[in-house]
Amino acid sequence: MNSVPPAAVLLFGALLLPLLPRFSRSVAFLLFPVLAFVLLGYLEDGSSTTLRFLSFDLVLMRLDRLSLAFGYVFVLIALLGGIYGLHVTDTGQQVAALIYAGSSLGVLFAGDLFTLFVYWEIMAVASVYLIVARRTERSRQAGMRYLYVHLFGGGVLLAGILWHSVDTGSILFDRFDRGAGAYLILFSFSLNAAIPPLHAWLADSYPEGTVTGSVFLSAFTTKTAVYVLARGFAGWDFLVWAGVIMAIYGVIFAVLENDIRRLLAYHIISQVGYMVTAVGLGTDAAINGATAHAFSHILYKGLLFMGAGAVLHATERSKLTELGGLARTLPVALSLYMVGAFSISGFPLFSGFVSKSLVVHAAELRHEEAVVLLLYLASVGTFLHTGLKLPYFTWLGPKRDLKPLPIPWSMYFGMILTAAINVAIGVHPKLLYDLMPYPVAYRPYTTSHVMETLQLLTFTGLGFWLLIDKLGGKPTITLDFDWFYRKPAPILYRLTIASTDWLFARAELMSLNLARRLAKAFADPIDYTARVLFQRSDTETDRIVYDPNRYRPPVGFIILVVLSCFVFLLAWNLFLA
Amino acid sequence: MRRPPLIIACGMLVLSLAADAIILGGEGHAEFWWSEVYGFFSLFGFLGCLATILVAKILGAMWLQRRENYYDPKERHE
Repeated sequence: MNSVPPAAVLLFGALLLPLLPRFSRSVAFLLFPVLAFVLLGYLEDGSSTTLRFLSFDLVLMRLDRLSLAFGYVFVLIALLGGIYGLHVTDTGQQVAALIYAGSSLGVLFAGDLFTLFVYWEIMAVASVYLIVARRTERSRQAGMRYLYVHLFGGGVLLAGILWHSVDTGSILFDRFDRGAGAYLILFSFSLNAAIPPLHAWLADSYPEGTVTGSVFLSAFTTKTAVYVLARGFAGWDFLVWAGVIMAIYGVIFAVLENDIRRLLAYHIISQVGYMVTAVGLGTDAAINGATAHAFSHILYKGLLFMGAGAVLHATERSKLTELGGLARTLPVALSLYMVGAFSISGFPLFSGFVSKSLVVHAAELRHEEAVVLLLYLASVGTFLHTGLKLPYFTWLGPKRDLKPLPIPWSMYFGMILTAAINVAIGVHPKLLYDLMPYPVAYRPYTTSHVMETLQLLTFTGLGFWLLIDKLGGKPTITLDFDWFYRKPAPILYRLTIASTDWLFARAELMSLNLARRLAKAFADPIDYTARVLFQRSDTETDRIVYDPNRYRPPVGFIILVVLSCFVFLLAWNLFLA
Repeated sequence: MRRPPLIIACGMLVLSLAADAIILGGEGHAEFWWSEVYGFFSLFGFLGCLATILVAKILGAMWLQRRENYYDPKERHE
């Protein structure tokens, strides 16, 4: 039976929103995620929508428990982000956010690769707007780099899809077998999942987004990638280690980072690493882990970006070296941020604890000792930066006499709701576990697990306390793989664009000069002929005076005849010959 | 702010070892070798924290950290 795909609700909302009165738009924004949420609850496992297009059967929607779990959290963060951004008056951002969320849902529920590709590209374009809408030169440049990287990824995806469909004769999106097409598709999914060395776009662009835009950005692109990896590449061993490398990589780079939102962006890479590892493990327990961690990650990372965004909104600063001593003026933002920080660090009673341990447990079940230990190490680094360093140097730390602007109540309200959901999941993990694609037998709250976690994190805190003088931000940027396209860019620009520009400019100048000379010559053809062809000077008195009005009709007639012949010949060629 | 005196660190370690002794004594089976080591997670957290900072700082100082206008020398320091 065909039913309305949830993506359509949000995309329809994006169409409708600009037509509504301006004051009602940010409230109306909330309506569409709510509708999509209701629709998701109403749809059943296994429902689908198909459409015949050319010679293909496109599966616009295919619902199962895996896509449904992602779908719920996507509409949830769209709603929470919408509440957080109730004060936003930029319709462009609201529309872009709805299109972005809608196309992400489209990817989740796409049953065939062409539908997936179309939504994939819409996602890339819509999300760019959330970056450039900050309207600074830096964000414009970062947004363009983001767009180029994703268009490249999209191109590789299309190539992979075409190759795959020719090889297998099917465009359905299911688990891939090894083959050239599958590798290309894996490349493009890995790019969106930000697996190093394909990750640099994330840390480059997310911190440049608008305050509310980055909340949406942190949720959708990487998590749709986790979903498509889980659907298409579950159990590919390569992903286990790719994920572990991500988890550690993000943590190491976060040490060096000075911009608070870039620090959080590096931790997205780290956290998505857990999910990618779980996808690589590929067991039912691991896929549950990837899904659960994606679910809570979207919620706590959204909250963290909301908290950092609140600081940016209030102080118009986002660098650790320029922040400090905000605990007195922004205490509520601090406490709500800390809920997110405890969640991402996996403290008991917070959402990260119950989801991260599912991933680690899945690795334990496979007896991957090195993987388990390295994931613990990533947890240590996560708490160190998101839980200790960032809040310490932003809210405590050196006083800088900042005079923060008031934060709109809507931002606080969005943060409170998100924080409440994080705590609810942490306290009552069944809420989350019941949504998972497979039954969850794991119990996170055992004495030893809680004890181990507390020991791990408390002693991380001790280490932080010892080295606190060394950990303050430095006014630097960190080289990353974006070096490979940012540094050679000026040279490439000179080679391709500047040189072509020069050529065109020369050609234009030459043709203009030619036209000028011709115009001069034909302004008085009799004089010109006399001077140039017969070498007669102007002084001779017997020359005929040229009167343009007199000669216009015969010249016009000649041109008319020539053009008519031309038209006649063309028509002859086209229709008769 | 003042550093915590060494005694607090020692106290935390003793507490965590005691907790390990009680829990490990009670459960008596181990899935991995580290589950039997008293204080493993405390030590792992502490050393892991130091190692992460050390590795990153060395990488940063020797190679990765550059001035803020590295990519666009014309951009002025804000």
